[in-house]
Amino acid sequence: MNRDYEKSAANANLPRGRSLWADGLRRLRRRRLAMLCLAVIAAYVLLTGFIYLAETFDWQVSVTNWDEKVGTEYEPPSAGNILGTDFLGQSGLRKTLYGAKVSLTVAFWASVISLGIGVPLGAIAGYFRGVVDEIVVWIYTTLSSIPYILLILAFALVLKGKTIDLGWAGLGIVELSGITTVYLAIGLTSWVGICRLIRAEVMKHKNQQYVLAARSYGCSNMRIIFRHLMPNVFHIVIINLSLRFVSFIQAEVILSFLGLGEKDRPSWGAMIDTARLELPKGHWWEMTAATLAIFFISLALNVFGDALRDSLDPKLRTQ
Amino acid sequence: MGFALKLLSTAFTIVLLLVAGCDNSGPVVDSNEVVSYGALSAKVRGLDPGDIGDTTSSAVASQIFECLYQYNYLKRPYKLITQLAQDMPQVSDDGLTYTIRIKKGVYFADDHCFEGGNGRELKADDFIFAWKRIANIKYLSKNWWIFDGRIVGLDEFREYTKTCKSRAEVDYSRPVEGLTARDDHTLVIKLKKPWSQITYLLAHLPTAPIAKEAVDYYGKDIINHPVGTGPFKLKLWHRGSYIELVRNPDFRGEVYPCEGAAGDLENGYLADAGRRIPMIDRVVLVLVQEDPPRWFLFLQGKIETSGIPKDNFNEAIDQKGVLTADMRKRNIHLRIFRDPSTYWLGFNMEDDVLGRNKPLREAISCAVDREKYIELFTNNRGEVAYGFIPPLMKAYDPQIKQMTKGTYNPEKARQLVKQAEAVYGGKLPRLTLSMAGTDVVARQAGQFYRRCFKNAGLDIQIDYMDWPTFQNKIKTKSAQFFSLGWIADYPDAENFLQLFYSKNASPGPNNFNYSNPEFDKIYEQIAVMPDSPERTELYRKAERIVVEDCPAVFLLHGVAYVLHHDWVHNYKPHAFGYGLTKYRRIDTAKRAAYKELLRASR
Repeated sequence: MNRDYEKSAANANLPRGRSLWADGLRRLRRRRLAMLCLAVIAAYVLLTGFIYLAETFDWQVSVTNWDEKVGTEYEPPSAGNILGTDFLGQSGLRKTLYGAKVSLTVAFWASVISLGIGVPLGAIAGYFRGVVDEIVVWIYTTLSSIPYILLILAFALVLKGKTIDLGWAGLGIVELSGITTVYLAIGLTSWVGICRLIRAEVMKHKNQQYVLAARSYGCSNMRIIFRHLMPNVFHIVIINLSLRFVSFIQAEVILSFLGLGEKDRPSWGAMIDTARLELPKGHWWEMTAATLAIFFISLALNVFGDALRDSLDPKLRTQ
Repeated sequence: MGFALKLLSTAFTIVLLLVAGCDNSGPVVDSNEVVSYGALSAKVRGLDPGDIGDTTSSAVASQIFECLYQYNYLKRPYKLITQLAQDMPQVSDDGLTYTIRIKKGVYFADDHCFEGGNGRELKADDFIFAWKRIANIKYLSKNWWIFDGRIVGLDEFREYTKTCKSRAEVDYSRPVEGLTARDDHTLVIKLKKPWSQITYLLAHLPTAPIAKEAVDYYGKDIINHPVGTGPFKLKLWHRGSYIELVRNPDFRGEVYPCEGAAGDLENGYLADAGRRIPMIDRVVLVLVQEDPPRWFLFLQGKIETSGIPKDNFNEAIDQKGVLTADMRKRNIHLRIFRDPSTYWLGFNMEDDVLGRNKPLREAISCAVDREKYIELFTNNRGEVAYGFIPPLMKAYDPQIKQMTKGTYNPEKARQLVKQAEAVYGGKLPRLTLSMAGTDVVARQAGQFYRRCFKNAGLDIQIDYMDWPTFQNKIKTKSAQFFSLGWIADYPDAENFLQLFYSKNASPGPNNFNYSNPEFDKIYEQIAVMPDSPERTELYRKAERIVVEDCPAVFLLHGVAYVLHHDWVHNYKPHAFGYGLTKYRRIDTAKRAAYKELLRASR
């Protein structure tokens, strides 16, 4: 039906309308600060991608050799080591850069898991209502009544050391440890917010004309939900994701700080945990390095997320 | 409803007023009382000596209970003297029968469990009851290891308790051939085989006498109601926060030692010689588990002694290893003493890769930079270990450094790795080092080891885990190699040798699952020998055999640093003794002066 409409509009030489996405992106591009933040986010993502490639293909680059001794123990920042060295003479800069990989990996997988659970559950609950809705609401109300950090901690502790059989995916038996535990714990506990939003949005949309039209054409419920409703509410997912990405990074930092995260490789949380004991000795640089790394990505994601919301949410369009 | 609300609000107001009236200066005490303030770094689990297995509970219970023997507070090397025993035991010629006379006129502290509330006189039967109670399998004591297979008839008594349905059903009047009371003040112990270390164990808290009346009266709640013969009684115990002990008015007349070690007179340790102890009326102990607040309380003068947390080491000790100017200004004293401890990376000798590959074990040993480890993780509070017997022990072998092949040498380690590959028949697989602890210090130590092993060309991963998981891994022989240590229970190197005896393999104390018939033969020989130069030489010979076989990377022997304020007198560190508060004296005028000093410096 839509295709026919577009065809007839083109034939009538009418001005071509912009989709929600195209319009949103056009507005976004006008915001310089948002674009700067996007560049910062892209830099972090590229760095993470580069570390993955370097490790996969065994490239000998300094960032993957973070455990190399580059100076004496506890060397303050200098021209040679701009973020100083740690208790083993390892470079603070390399560890901070490598930490991006751990944090972004955790945030990415936690997002995938939380969206994978929250979006379908929210859509189904909002669309079907009744008993299905009550069950979903009961589950997320129960989960949200437990303090978030305690819930993540509980999940992380329960999952730690467990094995899952991924033989069907050709991965064999995988032991849950380090960051796998962390992103599973975060992902499994943080879907409530997005589920609520999607549920409410679907409830709002389910009686709109385009849905009624699809229903009148005899579309199945699943087709209506995933082909018609989802594209119209997905901007909420994107906005929410950009804002929650920061909290996932912070959750990783907290879990690593509490000793439940990455053990053998540097992560920002582990660096802060270590630096906590070094601060009284006057070794401030490790704490500073990790904090700055978190600060820049958090700021960039927050500013960019706000701009994205302003651009994509029709109600907030002021420009 | 209105009345209930009024009542509730009145009660609430009273509580508020009471709380507002409290301050943080501790309990209200009689101004003439001498009070000692201390901090506990862990919770007290219980005060029943028969089931005490942790050092914090032991430290508190030792103020309340006494044993047959104790360590001389001042003399070094450490020497046993009598406590509840009248004299040292009379030992039969075959070394199998010990006759011990018990002091007369020793009374249990007054308690409701006794008739009329008055403590009764200590008898030989109280020891027999306490030891049978440890043997009772229904009691599930942690301390059965002390008597396991040692005393005639006691193992049979334990078997009998297995047939009882409950604790209450166990008949303690059932005779045990090896434990008899010749009269109320004479205890006779018959051993299955000679056991020269028995006197050390008779100075160990779990062997303290228990009044049957107290066990019958309090039942399972006995852990909260200690009734002993010691210098202090339990006055108050808020589990998990606060313990208060008061002087036992019926404590037998014990006096401060009149003789000490060389230098004790000059250091003022004999100023109170011959004075009746305890010299303190009340002991207040607060639970402070974290290092920073404990350190803060010490600097504020709210507690009298403290170790030095790793993070505050530079604040207390300068580059020369002496007290900093600030500490000296505060009149704080430093005591340094050797720990009877050895720490190591132990190999599971039953592991297919490590157990059959001595060059690999030696390579790992040569890869670890002990001096750097001591510098980084103990603030130089340790001595490099070349064997397992600590320098504090009489049997310590000064020649052991020359004997060991596994001292730090990365070049040699790399060569040994090549030999190890030849023995293995190819590239070595990745090895796993199990470490207890998931905190930052454990992770840093793990990173340090990884660096050392990487330098030697070894591929080793670190597996961090909590303590119960770690213990389970060791006990089930599933750890490949592991980070662990041992602190001696008594000043006899036999306590270390048992860790390498093949019959003690996991789940026993031989975590290495080490087995060497020659070592076993020596161990069996020395286990029944009395203290003698010949036995000391055999200890050293046994240690050399172990060092040659390299079942562990011996890392360090601990050195302890303890600080105390100048108002605490007679503070002499002791590696084995508990319950030493009775020897201390508090100068309350000096304590007040310190508070003035703090006030003036604000």
